[in-house]
Amino acid sequence: MAKPKVAFYWCASCGGCEESIIDLAENILKVIEAVEFVIFPVAMDFKMKDVEALHDREIAVSFINGGIRTEEQEHMAKLLRKKSGIVVAYGACAHLGGTPGLANFFNRDMIFDYVYRKAPSVENPHNITPKPRTAVKQGDLTLPKFYDTVFTLDQVIDVDYYLPGCAPPPDLIMKAIEAILSGNLPPKGSVLAPDKSLCHTCKRKPTKPEKAIIKEIRRVHEVLLDPDRCFLDQGIICMGPATRDGCGERCINANMPCRGCFGSTSRVEDQGAKFLSALASVIDANDENEIRKITASIVDPAGVFYFYSLPASMLRRRRNIANE
Amino acid sequence: MSGGDKQGIMKAGVGVYFCSCGTNISENIDIDELVRFTSTLDTVEYVKSHNLLCSEEGKNYLAEDIIKQKPDRVVIAACTPKEHEKTFRNVLQKAGLNPYLFQMVNLREQVAWATSDKSSATEKAKSYIRAAVARVALQEPLEEREIDCNTDVLVIGAGPAGMEAALLLAKAGRKVYLVEKNSFIGGRVARYEEVFPKMECASCMMEPKMDEVLHHENIELLTCSEVQEVLGFLGNFVVRVRKKAGYVDKNKCIGCGACYDQCPVTVKNEFDYNLSDRKAIHVPYTGALPNVPVIDCMSCLRFEGRSDVYKQALDQGLITKREYETFKAEDCRLCKEACLFDAINYEDKDEVIEREVGGIVVATGFELFDPSVLPQFGYGVYPEVYTSLEFERILSQTGPTCGKLLMKDGREPESVAIIHCVGSRDKDFKDYCSGVCCLYALKFARLVEKHAPSVKVYDFYADWCVPGKDNQAFLDSIKKWKNIKFIHTTLPMNVPVKKRNGKLSLACTDVSNGKHVVSADMVVLCPAMVPAKDTARLSELLLIARGKEGFFAEGHTKLAPVSTNMEGIFIAGCSQGPKDIQGSVAQAAAAAGEVLSALVPGRKLKLDVLTAEIDENACAECRICIGLCPYNAIVLDKEKNVAVVNTVLCKGCGTCVAACPSGSARSRHFTTEQIFAEIEGVLK
Repeated sequence: MAKPKVAFYWCASCGGCEESIIDLAENILKVIEAVEFVIFPVAMDFKMKDVEALHDREIAVSFINGGIRTEEQEHMAKLLRKKSGIVVAYGACAHLGGTPGLANFFNRDMIFDYVYRKAPSVENPHNITPKPRTAVKQGDLTLPKFYDTVFTLDQVIDVDYYLPGCAPPPDLIMKAIEAILSGNLPPKGSVLAPDKSLCHTCKRKPTKPEKAIIKEIRRVHEVLLDPDRCFLDQGIICMGPATRDGCGERCINANMPCRGCFGSTSRVEDQGAKFLSALASVIDANDENEIRKITASIVDPAGVFYFYSLPASMLRRRRNIANE
Repeated sequence: MSGGDKQGIMKAGVGVYFCSCGTNISENIDIDELVRFTSTLDTVEYVKSHNLLCSEEGKNYLAEDIIKQKPDRVVIAACTPKEHEKTFRNVLQKAGLNPYLFQMVNLREQVAWATSDKSSATEKAKSYIRAAVARVALQEPLEEREIDCNTDVLVIGAGPAGMEAALLLAKAGRKVYLVEKNSFIGGRVARYEEVFPKMECASCMMEPKMDEVLHHENIELLTCSEVQEVLGFLGNFVVRVRKKAGYVDKNKCIGCGACYDQCPVTVKNEFDYNLSDRKAIHVPYTGALPNVPVIDCMSCLRFEGRSDVYKQALDQGLITKREYETFKAEDCRLCKEACLFDAINYEDKDEVIEREVGGIVVATGFELFDPSVLPQFGYGVYPEVYTSLEFERILSQTGPTCGKLLMKDGREPESVAIIHCVGSRDKDFKDYCSGVCCLYALKFARLVEKHAPSVKVYDFYADWCVPGKDNQAFLDSIKKWKNIKFIHTTLPMNVPVKKRNGKLSLACTDVSNGKHVVSADMVVLCPAMVPAKDTARLSELLLIARGKEGFFAEGHTKLAPVSTNMEGIFIAGCSQGPKDIQGSVAQAAAAAGEVLSALVPGRKLKLDVLTAEIDENACAECRICIGLCPYNAIVLDKEKNVAVVNTVLCKGCGTCVAACPSGSARSRHFTTEQIFAEIEGVLK
């Protein structure tokens, strides 16, 4: 019997998700033995035409990482959708928009203006910025169109499953691959990770008090962090309570608070809003001025609460500056 | 999140009923058009309209039609749910449909009466209908529950209000636990000689009541006691009361007083505001009830109170170890030896008493605003300046001077100045009028006239506050006394008290711009009434709200004057706000009535259906919710490692649901899905 065909593809992402396959260590051999790759940009030399040549739904499963922010990414996502039986949104960016999704606080012009003009390391005397089409004497050069907004994968194509994380941890990757190969799959639309919040497995939970706890909010570089005490109890914003479990507390174990890469549980509509609501509830002050002082100490609140999930949130983007 | 795990929307056969409310709704909304529109909605099985659904005929029609049509869910578009949601729920129940598979649309108050243009009102109504139809499909059947209730009552404070409430409840056959922090009952009134306006003897008035309280078989009086913990809710409170050791067995003691005659320790008597002395074993005043002395272990030679002081001194190096041992070993037994009835028990210990009650009446009284923060009056600096309560004691037969008008130095004053509104009616201090000071100031004048008729009285007032049927006549009668002079100032707070040539001197300008300089031997201040010290602690313990001045807040100023934000907890007397004895007793009677009406023996209590619940398979024990619950209804289940809602305590406020960061807490009947469906229905 022919091996099932598998695609790996990257869109608006850092490449870490593709690398994460390597984290499977010796298990990667089992994967390679079991499947046939049809595209895997970080590791193998396949072209778009190789994918186009396949029959519809010929690919058993496509793992697509990264959000969608260019015309080409949208095209590839749609192509892979057409050619695949199953599409998995792989990693935080495909799932929620991810860190690149924070660009939704700006628009394309603001981004280009900074990146190609104002950034301190840029020298651009001819004021050249990327254009979809540039005429040179040999003909026209093209670049994919750059969108105003970063989209999650499921805002562009139908997605069957989500593998969360920045990047997804090896145990969840392996479990997902095994489930797909064996056909032992949960209902469509499931996130392939536990559905409790991170506190469930957090070693620091016993140190968390039962009553309102936050008297002042501090950032990680401002304090010597107690490696055993609940971050919230230390006045450090930890998204753990509003974030899905399953990452193995990689950040917490490195004495860094959770930033929410796994997204919320299935029961929550908007991770950032929910965390904000929880945080507001545990600020230990009754006086309005004091509350204002405490909340004012959160630097870049939107960026903190929506670190990974802005495009997937109810806000999606800053509204009044979108060009298209 | 846009990612994943979406549940499909349940299919439901919805029956929709429109009520025209006579013409109230149909006049301004096109019901025919609404019926047509509603019939086009996916989940709607049928649509009907009626002229007046809340009428007997309408309710019967509705019940019969529901039985005939067998809808899965029902939407009724009529008036505000505040008016008839309950009515229609009952109809549904009768027709065999769970009353929570029903959503009401307020077409009258929110649409017909609010939107004037008929076509835009009809459009608005459509969006409301769409919302209700979308929401009702997601609603779940809910079951109402009932629990047994306890009808016993805890009364906190044994002043006039607390005693009145306790007696009324006891007479109605209720078991009453009356908790009093002092060793005696009667409250502040125990300190008064006579009361306005009829100059009735206070002790003659109170003693029969006090006696009844002491001897009523349904009242368990706990003196020297403080409420420490209250758990639960209307019909099912568990209270813990700390009863301090008094070291005297009340069953053996006959109140002869032999013990305090022998006690070698003399300290200031706080009952007389330190104007007299008492012994370490004492009753606060002659005639105190219950007539059982207590040992004040902070001053008694042999008790821990003192040994703590010694221990502290030892720790701080103020005394040597040897001195400490000597002091500690001090074994005075004089009172025990003096007692012929073996009533003294040095082994007595504080105990925590637990009682179950169904209702609570709080009547913890008042204190006076501390006038020493107002330097213009010289209180605490000049010994001749007294507060009104200190003056009450001087005028009392049981007080430090046995009712003779004498000052601290033993002299009889030739003149007394009374200053009203001390700390009252002033934005910087207390901005309210206590409402009783004018009257007791007049009482003071009358008592001075009686005890020492030659003494001159100067009364510095701003406005007369003497409402009620007897009080104006009281004022008029005192105005006739030749030795009293009333000085009408705009603000008694601006009458400074200075000392000149050994006498107090008060200077002010009256409202007619006349200058007054008054020389007086004695000054009596009438400070604002403020909540008793324990009010804040009790407010936290009982979860009942306080107003901005710190008194307990009533449920409604006019219509629920003795209720609180907590069902089953009522307030009476000065803990609710300044008032006279009459007002306090009236409130106590009201509170007793509230308790009797809320808790009827044999009747079960209906529990709230719309509570929160936490999915134990989803909760990660992040603990965010626990401290938030205003009803202490959430606890950690230490075995399952999840937070659990006690649905008997839960009032369904939704605070935990909003805060739960993993979405594991949900409000019954107000789930996220239901609310979103409703919003989407409106906005579509």
